[in-house]
Amino acid sequence: MPPLKAVPLKVAGGGWLPWLAVGLLTAAAWGVAPFSLLGGLSLSLLVLTALKLREAKQRREHRLVCLLQLVTAGLLGAQRGDLGSSLLQGLAVVVALAGLLQLELGGVSNLASLLRRSGQLVLAALPMALALFLLFPRLGPFANLGGLGKFGAAATTGLSTTLEPGTIASLTQDRSPAARVAFPGGGPPPASQRLWRVLVHGQFDGQSWRSLNAASTETGNAGAGNAGPIAIGERDPEAIFGGSDADPNLGGRQPPGAKQVWLSEANGFAEVPWSGEGLPLDRHLKRDGQGQLRHDGAVGVRKLYSLAAEPATPAWRRQAPTAQDLQMTAGTNPRLEILAAGWRHQAPGGVNAADAAAGSRNAGGAKAVALAEAWFRQQGFRYSLNNPLLPKTAPLDALLFERRQGFCGHYASALSALMRAAGVPARVVSGYRGGTWVVPLGGSAFLDLRQSDAHAWSEVWIEGEGWRTVDPTLWVLGGATLGDPSSPAVRTAAAAANQAGPLDWIARQWWGLDLAWGEWWLGFDQRSQELLLQRLLGPYRDWAGALLVMAVALTLALGLAVYGWLRRRGEGDQLQQELNQLLRHCARNGLVPQPGESLSQFGGRLRQTRPLLGPELEDFVGLLQQLRYGRPGDCQRQVMARLRRCGQSLRRQLRRSRS
Amino acid sequence: MGTMNSPVQALIAAIGQVLLGKEHQVKLALACLLARGHLLLEDLPGTGKTSLAEALSRGFGLDFRRVSFTSDLLPADLTGLNVFDSQRSRFDFHPGPLFSQVLLADEINRASPRTQSALLEAMANGRVSVDGISHPLPEPFLVIATQNGLDQGGTAPLPESQLDRFLMRLHLGFPTREAERDLLQGQALQAAQLASELTAAHLQALQQQVQTIHTSPALLDYVLDLLARSRDSGRPGLPLSPRAGLALLAAARAWSLIAGRDHVLPEDVQAVLTPVCEHRLDGGQIRGEATLSSRLLGAAGGLR
Repeated sequence: MPPLKAVPLKVAGGGWLPWLAVGLLTAAAWGVAPFSLLGGLSLSLLVLTALKLREAKQRREHRLVCLLQLVTAGLLGAQRGDLGSSLLQGLAVVVALAGLLQLELGGVSNLASLLRRSGQLVLAALPMALALFLLFPRLGPFANLGGLGKFGAAATTGLSTTLEPGTIASLTQDRSPAARVAFPGGGPPPASQRLWRVLVHGQFDGQSWRSLNAASTETGNAGAGNAGPIAIGERDPEAIFGGSDADPNLGGRQPPGAKQVWLSEANGFAEVPWSGEGLPLDRHLKRDGQGQLRHDGAVGVRKLYSLAAEPATPAWRRQAPTAQDLQMTAGTNPRLEILAAGWRHQAPGGVNAADAAAGSRNAGGAKAVALAEAWFRQQGFRYSLNNPLLPKTAPLDALLFERRQGFCGHYASALSALMRAAGVPARVVSGYRGGTWVVPLGGSAFLDLRQSDAHAWSEVWIEGEGWRTVDPTLWVLGGATLGDPSSPAVRTAAAAANQAGPLDWIARQWWGLDLAWGEWWLGFDQRSQELLLQRLLGPYRDWAGALLVMAVALTLALGLAVYGWLRRRGEGDQLQQELNQLLRHCARNGLVPQPGESLSQFGGRLRQTRPLLGPELEDFVGLLQQLRYGRPGDCQRQVMARLRRCGQSLRRQLRRSRS
Repeated sequence: MGTMNSPVQALIAAIGQVLLGKEHQVKLALACLLARGHLLLEDLPGTGKTSLAEALSRGFGLDFRRVSFTSDLLPADLTGLNVFDSQRSRFDFHPGPLFSQVLLADEINRASPRTQSALLEAMANGRVSVDGISHPLPEPFLVIATQNGLDQGGTAPLPESQLDRFLMRLHLGFPTREAERDLLQGQALQAAQLASELTAAHLQALQQQVQTIHTSPALLDYVLDLLARSRDSGRPGLPLSPRAGLALLAAARAWSLIAGRDHVLPEDVQAVLTPVCEHRLDGGQIRGEATLSSRLLGAAGGLR
């Protein structure tokens, strides 16, 4: 009998795989709204996991850590469905399972085999997951997890509800994605029409423009279909948008090709750009009189919307101005007011604030805009992204008459203030302008909007016409449009977005994949599910059919599990399998145990014929006997792992000696 | 073999100086003693049976008696008898040779079945009844019986039921040429010269330790397989009784203790299978060869 070597008791677990899983989960959780219900839950779970992993000593605790990691991955999956995060989540699951396997197999350090096994586990779970994804009923709160959070409306990135000259300067450097727009069956809109309204800033206190309280201006629910068409921004109605004021839920009345797929990134501000069509995602979307679409609650997850077209003159353009749109604290920017007062005299139809509130005519609006344009073009303003902060008192005076440099936010604020001072209702609108038209190798082309595409402009009320979009930044740039790469200022503004280096090319391919994934993953909502079931079940489209399918699937899964269990039992225990593997290799070398021979006798005989196998064979026999006949001890798993390694090495040597 | 049980090893070495070249048999006999079993030595006269018995008893400092079983030996010659003390006018019990810790029952198959059964009853029960009064036998109590070849005249073979009471049947056999040369040169010690530090208390401690040796489920499966194979119809030999199974396990435990392990391996079972089971399988009929038990080993199959 070979000597039994003392097996060192290793600390259970302790590998780096669980830490890698934590890292991957952290990366996957990047950008989750920390104050939403689910986001907070998953982030705290992540922290908890890391802390538990730090102090875990026993095997039981390491198992718990792995379980926590899997739950976290699941929670993240409910919130972040974009391709990158999904891949990270999947990877984290594989790594976490590998960590668990390493633990259960007793410190096996062969990474490739660990990953292979855990990959097999994940693959085995995939059909079930897919079946659940396709067939599990989208029950109210669960299908709509992202909308649960009522907190976290605080603007961290992206557009801000308060526009104070200087706040968008940081946005232009921020290249994180804002939205992606696909136009099924249509090309990209011309650059001049790529203007995406997001926020309307109607409240001006002499320094900053604030967005109005959403609740006070809310006029209807987009989902109800009675609030008129859905506003999507400055688009050429003939080119892109058919005149559809249909209930968005009845997609059949829309002309084909007029449908947009809009994938909006989760970026922490409460308002999403536009309405969606799919159920039940747009339940939380509200539309107000200024044409803003509002999402009640933070948008913690990225969302996919199908958009309808808007008519030539949407309702919000005709919505008459209120006193709010003329409100201006007199004396905050005296030089600006003096300039505007001059324009008011030149524009004979100019009205004062009281008249506007009473709904009087202000036919002078168009004239005032023309005067302002002429003035802006004369002044020789400079477009610049880096501007010193403006003084607290009379900031717009400082901008227009001293500094004479700024970017869209500055000029839009100034123009709107000028218009108000001239007695013309005006407001500042922030949103996105331009975007990059991306044609990926696979998947459909789309327009990519980044935070660096953020822009601000003015809307001025012209009697008889409605709210007109006026972009003073264009005047400053001297006629060039923002999408025009010939303008040097624009080149700095749009930066590398329009210049496709190899890295950008790769990034765009990635975005294309991401969009396709998003369309598939996020687009599969309750309606798509119902459609699928209708197709699958034909006339039996009640949920009874789905329940039947689920019952059958469950029964099948249960049957498979029982079958697997029975088969595993029939194969004998792991030790016997290990021994049988070795015996098979021995038999191929013509070494067969005699009847009645004990393992150590056989081992001894083997050692005589193959002296090279000696020490490892001794180990193998000793370990196997220790496991099978010894007292059950603490380090069984470690012994088992050593036995496996021994067996592997012996088999390798036997194979080699045969060939 | 890991850490040997050193006092036991020392004893084996000491007995080995008395019985030259018989280490395996000495270990088996010791295992029998440690498993609280009785030993049946079957061999020709002059092969060292008495020396073994004496050396074992001296090794643990045990009280040793020898009784030659003859055809006229009566049970009372073994157990002792009540003798009337005329002065005190009462019966006093005079214990017989059975009241010793190691009893060598020489040529047990020459005695009458009645005497044999008296001995075997004492072996089984650990006490002796004389005229209705029960007398406990000393602890530990080991019977080493020797048996001559059955072909010799004037013998009453032990019935199967009584063979079953012996844990092991051993053959000492002839010594090897080298061992016999040493013997002839007078290098063997006399059993009386054997020096050992062990006492009866040590023996009892070891006997208790044997009972704590671990037997895993896999090992019990092996023993059960062996028992089941012995009971297959069509297999030559008698089936093994449950007592045989217990004996096999006890002997295997003792064997693994001697080997210095805390758990029983299949090879422990295999090592003691022939001495423990052969006489139960052949019913005392076939002598001298381990054919039945080795066939059983082959039949139980599988690499253990």
